[in-house]
Amino acid sequence: MKRRGLAASVILVVAALAACGTQQSHGTVAAAAAPPPSLALSLDSAAGTWATVQMGGSAADYNNFWQLFVRPAGASGADSWRLVTPPGMADNGGLLLASTGGRSLVTGFRPSQLITFSPLISTSDNGAHWATGSAAGGLSDVPDALAAAPGSGDLIALVPGAIELSRTGGSAWTTVARAQSVADSAAGRVCGLSGLTAVAFSPAGIPTVAGACTKPGTAGIFALDAGQWQAAGPALPASLAGQPVTVLRLTTSGGRQLALLSAGAGSAATVVAAWTAIGSGRWQLSPGLRTGGKQVLSASFGPGGAAGLVLSGGHGEVLADPGSTWRQLPALPSGSQVLVIGAGGQVEALASHGSVLTVWATGPASSGWAREQAINVPIQYGSSS
Amino acid sequence: MPGMNSGINIDDPTVTAAFRAALVHQGLIALAIVVLIALVWTASKAWLPPRVQAAAAGHGPALAWSAEPAGRRLLRIGFGLLWVFDGILQAQPAMAAGLPSQVIQPTAASSPGWVQHLVNWGGTTWSYHPIQAGAAAVWIQVGIGIWLLVAPHGLWSRAGGLVSASWGLVVWVFGESFGSIFAPGLSWLFGAPGAVLFYCMAGVLVALPLAAWSTPRLGRGVLAVMGVFFLGMAVLQAWPGRGFWQGTSGHQPGSLAAMTQSMAQTNQPSAVAGWVNAFTAFDEAHGFAVNLFVVIALAAAGLAMVTAWRRVLFPAVAATVVLCLATWVLVQDFGFFGGLGTDPNSMIPMALVIVGGYLALTRVPMAAAEEAPEPAHDGDPAAAEEPADATEPAVPAPASGWRTRLRPAALCQSFATATVSSVASVGALAIVILGAAPMAAAQANPSASTILAQSLVGSVAPMDYPAKGFQLTNQDGRTVTSATLRGKVVLLTFLDPVCTSDCPLIAQEFRAAGQLLGPSSSRVELVAIAANPVFYQRVYTEAFTRQEGLAQVPNWQFLTGSVAALRQVWSDYGIDAEVEPGGSMIGHTEVAYVIDASGNVREEFSDDPGPGTTATQASYASMLADAARQYLGAS
Repeated sequence: MKRRGLAASVILVVAALAACGTQQSHGTVAAAAAPPPSLALSLDSAAGTWATVQMGGSAADYNNFWQLFVRPAGASGADSWRLVTPPGMADNGGLLLASTGGRSLVTGFRPSQLITFSPLISTSDNGAHWATGSAAGGLSDVPDALAAAPGSGDLIALVPGAIELSRTGGSAWTTVARAQSVADSAAGRVCGLSGLTAVAFSPAGIPTVAGACTKPGTAGIFALDAGQWQAAGPALPASLAGQPVTVLRLTTSGGRQLALLSAGAGSAATVVAAWTAIGSGRWQLSPGLRTGGKQVLSASFGPGGAAGLVLSGGHGEVLADPGSTWRQLPALPSGSQVLVIGAGGQVEALASHGSVLTVWATGPASSGWAREQAINVPIQYGSSS
Repeated sequence: MPGMNSGINIDDPTVTAAFRAALVHQGLIALAIVVLIALVWTASKAWLPPRVQAAAAGHGPALAWSAEPAGRRLLRIGFGLLWVFDGILQAQPAMAAGLPSQVIQPTAASSPGWVQHLVNWGGTTWSYHPIQAGAAAVWIQVGIGIWLLVAPHGLWSRAGGLVSASWGLVVWVFGESFGSIFAPGLSWLFGAPGAVLFYCMAGVLVALPLAAWSTPRLGRGVLAVMGVFFLGMAVLQAWPGRGFWQGTSGHQPGSLAAMTQSMAQTNQPSAVAGWVNAFTAFDEAHGFAVNLFVVIALAAAGLAMVTAWRRVLFPAVAATVVLCLATWVLVQDFGFFGGLGTDPNSMIPMALVIVGGYLALTRVPMAAAEEAPEPAHDGDPAAAEEPADATEPAVPAPASGWRTRLRPAALCQSFATATVSSVASVGALAIVILGAAPMAAAQANPSASTILAQSLVGSVAPMDYPAKGFQLTNQDGRTVTSATLRGKVVLLTFLDPVCTSDCPLIAQEFRAAGQLLGPSSSRVELVAIAANPVFYQRVYTEAFTRQEGLAQVPNWQFLTGSVAALRQVWSDYGIDAEVEPGGSMIGHTEVAYVIDASGNVREEFSDDPGPGTTATQASYASMLADAARQYLGAS
């Protein structure tokens, strides 16, 4: 009897120890919404083209430093891009850009390390001088967490769990809505809104938000109309009806809204660009782009509604305008983070290696990339740690 | 694991010097205590009546020694020596600053969250008071070791066992993270279930009444426990998928070879490293055979100990001891080489327990069949020192009743008639208390030791000159001038309100300093002046204040003004605030001033928060609070 007890205790001890000593295996997690593209993007404005790129070293060591470049309107040639990173603050968390529609640009610093709010800084002379004096709550880690209303100076910001609005150019903010209240609205329930991914003003200055829908075939874009969130996204074609849709980008430029949607997940994911017609809210959709499992790393809009995507694996795709089809670019130069779409089908790729930014260019008929410019950035490694 | 790490270099000269000084200081006190006890004891003997003196002279260690069961003696002396050795290891210069980050944290890293949480508490406590904790570990372990060595019998000896087991439990939980029994990769070869658990086991055995050693039952029980443990370890060692059956896997060493390979790379004599490397190579070539041998050996040893079959027991115990020694040398690399070794790992204590159990089973001392006549000496360890024995001389027992025995005369007589071992035990207890008391006092103090901050700041020169004036605006929009601050002690620093790393830490150190000051903080102003020429407006000082939870701190003032006004203040206080390119934060001087109530600068020190661990922050806050208190007293 004693021996049996002994044996049982041995088995119990060993089973317990084995349970402790064996790695747990987890079941497969259900397919998640498409991850948002990085904050690296280019932005077309009346003043010129802006681009923000992550440079330096490891983000884990806070040796990544985001840089802002501008190519003033009309500039061309080997020295057309200039480094205009706003001074005065560590930008390891990333820079968010909001064009006011004129020549001004508002830049928000995303929180990093111990800072939890987002100082704002603006320029109206292509980064030659910067003005401070405003701040927002900690901006979310999505490319469209900050937007400016064309002409008015109003700002809208996406912060964790809420949408905030400033009618004073950023010196004072009010909470427009909690993210949950958008999800709980009638339009949010139809979409099955699981999270917000972008804020914008419509061309008419109406606060608009976008997010990820869990219910298939719904594009989660909502406009604040008379205090109520109304569905404002495009109707999706039947080919996307069975897929959950995430809005990767939502912005306003040139009198129209532009959006980039991702439907489905994994190898079946499809990316679609959408534009509202100038002067109306009617949406037009691009043909779907099957990404083949590649992730959208960066998405930028250019003049006339052109769109450019950097996909994982060194792939690049562009859409020249709302009526065109996706064009695959030659294999992107190593380190490419951002595409800049110019007139006449010209495309530039901004690639970074450490503290050097290289601008590469390709034309519509080119099969390769030509090096246009290189900029050495004086990065202060170790200054944020 | 936040808080575990003191954050400073483990060889930091300030900390190591302070640790060395504390050890020397406490060592001298310990020596003085021992000498004093010896003197008092010798002197008190002279006052005893001649009859009592003669009786007391009959007591001797030889008697106690002969009466102690062999197994108990082995455990007592073996673990006494181990504790002394462990105590000496604890005196390594880097131990004070390094134990949390180099020993505790890595050990706990693979354990579940609740273990890490618990261990983190202990590590943080150590980090807050590294000198006191380091010295406490040394003297407690040396004291326990001496106690076990000098007290062979009686309640003093049993109390030593109990203290040994209790301290062992503390070390097992906080120092060894429960011997990593909740972590993956558990193996007998690597030291499961934690060396100190055997110290605890031995302590409990020593603490048992002598009567427990008078039958083979105790030895059988010890061997049965060890046998079950060995069988369990054999099954665990044989468990597939844990990497022990492979010498190499995909050009990578298997679990055992990887362990021994890393052990051999630590700093140690080359011959020792050579043995371990040779074993590693052998295991890589014959991993399956090595593990098969270990599994069979563990299972066989376990079966032999569980069954306690006399014919095989001796060879089994002997073979187990040889296996333990081989594992100690070839796998555990003696346990204490390289880094900050705290003990010789599990094999020696395990072997001691097994042999102790074997001796308790096979060599039951007839003389120890009865415990000391406790009724005659009840509650008096010194009086209960010796076992009942026909040869025991008749020492006049003090009158019964605790009140009677606590009378000075009775106490003097008890002390004077105590044996050498009893008096030595008292000395050992004093050493333990000597180590534990400063740590207990430090633990009761909410503020951290300032030694970490001192190591970061360096020496602070006293000064006395009028602070330059300023007129700025605080985070609430109120004007603050140097004149309005007069009458209060001012802790002044310069912070970048949009700084992402150091400035929030410094602000929290100021806040903590204010909390440490308690009611006195109403006579202290915690003042920061903006040190950023780009982001300097009140919207940023206000946002920073909210971010750091300082809005409700009444004496917190984050001042700013025009860039011109700020530049003047920076110039007056020797502050550089440079705009750095490429997305970097402002580079500014990190300095703190202590300004007395008369408006004179009395101290200036760097307030670079260094690694910004909870320990350095707490230490810095203590230093700031101490400085403020000093000038509060002077005002």
